[in-house]
Amino acid sequence: MTAVVLDGIVLGLAFGLLGVGMTLVYGLGGVLNLAYGQIVVLAAIVASIVMDDGRATLLAAVLGVLAAAGVGVLLDLTLMRPVYRERGEERTLLGLLLTLGAAFVIGGVLTWRYPDGALYINITGDPVSVLGVPMTRGSIWASVIALAVAALLLLFFGATTFGRGVRSVIQDEVGARLVGINPSFVRTVIFALSGALAGIVAISTAMVGPLTVNAGFELTTFALIVTVVGGLGSVAGAFLAGVLLGVVQSLSAHYIGQYITTIILLGAAALTILIRPRGLLGR
Amino acid sequence: MGLSSRRVGWALLPIVVTAAVLVILPSVWFGDSPFTTSLAVQAMVFASYGVGFNLIFGSTNQLFLCVGALAGVGGYGAAILVDQTSLPMAAGVAVGTASAALVGGLLSWIAVRRSLGVIFTGIVTLVFSLAFANLLLGQREYTGSETGLVVEGMPSNLADDHVGGYYLFVGLLVGFLIVFRALQLSHVGWAFRALRDDEVAAELAGVNVARYRIYAATIGSAMIGLTGALLAFSAGFISPATYSFDRVDVRVLVFVAFGGLGTLLGPVIGASVFAILDERLTASFESREVLYGVFIIVIFLGFRRGVVNAVVSLVRRFLPARRPEADPQPSGE
Repeated sequence: MTAVVLDGIVLGLAFGLLGVGMTLVYGLGGVLNLAYGQIVVLAAIVASIVMDDGRATLLAAVLGVLAAAGVGVLLDLTLMRPVYRERGEERTLLGLLLTLGAAFVIGGVLTWRYPDGALYINITGDPVSVLGVPMTRGSIWASVIALAVAALLLLFFGATTFGRGVRSVIQDEVGARLVGINPSFVRTVIFALSGALAGIVAISTAMVGPLTVNAGFELTTFALIVTVVGGLGSVAGAFLAGVLLGVVQSLSAHYIGQYITTIILLGAAALTILIRPRGLLGR
Repeated sequence: MGLSSRRVGWALLPIVVTAAVLVILPSVWFGDSPFTTSLAVQAMVFASYGVGFNLIFGSTNQLFLCVGALAGVGGYGAAILVDQTSLPMAAGVAVGTASAALVGGLLSWIAVRRSLGVIFTGIVTLVFSLAFANLLLGQREYTGSETGLVVEGMPSNLADDHVGGYYLFVGLLVGFLIVFRALQLSHVGWAFRALRDDEVAAELAGVNVARYRIYAATIGSAMIGLTGALLAFSAGFISPATYSFDRVDVRVLVFVAFGGLGTLLGPVIGASVFAILDERLTASFESREVLYGVFIIVIFLGFRRGVVNAVVSLVRRFLPARRPEADPQPSGE
């Protein structure tokens, strides 16, 4: 039982890390970035190329994260400009369609040029015992990274001036502009941050198991579900939702069976949306 | 409210022209090539999905990201029923269509009851799509999982690489267009326009927004389910890929938006353009996914409101004469 729950928490932290990059961008003006999973894959492929070149894993990870952040900024400076000129549902829909196009382009180039591309970061060492359960070092590292990212993000949004500025844009774009915050600059920074988070997802996922080139769509879907269940725009909500969904997934995979698990997971997500459309910690 | 026969005639004109073009197309263009015929059948199938989706999303703003799943409910429902019992094909198709209508109506009822917005309706229906895909993979003894299911019962001259199959789906599409137009002209269409323009104002003016949303979703889902069911028999084989999210929903959303959301002919034009594009791209490029993406971006940066609306406003600019059709803008602004 403990082992199953611990597995679920490891998985859930990965889900949370995946959702947080999408939730930030959504909170900041209602764009759901459907290219998110493909940006994760891009980071993984960049890192795997650097590693195949015989460089250090750390350098590969940093370059992968930087590449993903770069794509985030590029998206913001190009495709997102016309999107943010729109309002309300027009903006949402145009955002969905343009990022869907970007997802095709990024995913298409990657599967075309690197059809067998995959990233796996093998962390050697004996399993570590946690609460009497042996855990692989890869999953421990991945969880530590997720927790560290969660802590840093909460600190950033709670305690720094710029973080508070971002939150003010999330709450009221016009109001933020009135007190001298430039929403456009804030968005560019958040897109860079979201991209970097996608890169970190790639690295931490690859520590647990191989991340292949065609995982983009699935990653986007999970990010979307975590984002919605946690509450759009909520950092803590994304991690809470991730851990809950992770534990549900792990428990049902262990006690009920693998095939029905995905359906239970999706059902849990749908139920949360229906009972509490704002998400667990949404405003 | 009496409609003058002249107005009805004008309103049906685009459908008559479309039907005429689609009917003569085989003899002037693709003739007896099974490959081109099956491409044309694909275009008709997608245009039919598109009309249903357009009724749900274009008319009443409910983003249903489960077109493939609803078609699959129709297709698998019909195929499994005929496979497991000795009922005739028509009964299977009827049950499949009714199941899809029921599921679509139920999803809409949930969305309406919980007053979910566009995005949330989209996500709930997306979740349904994924769950349905998993169900297909899991229920191996009924669905054959990834290997798929052979579906028998359709006369061979209505197969999807035969001109008869093409006419079957042209007939289906034209029927859907007539239903769509009839709804637009009736009090239902008036309610659709009111709730699409401003939901709150429509509710205040006495339009039962919830009821019309559920109507639109039920009728649209029945169209999608019927198309999926006929496709199953016409193709003679279905697998989860036939109705998968990335093969059906992504395309439908993109080409309906390209053609023009809420317009009568948008889905037909969109599906035709994308069918031709697909054929050209497979023939000449290694990675059509990339070009597909570039195409989506260019189109939505270029003409946002769809081809049909762009053409209509162009025509209106050069022909300022009053059009006999009802103006979609509500009066009293």
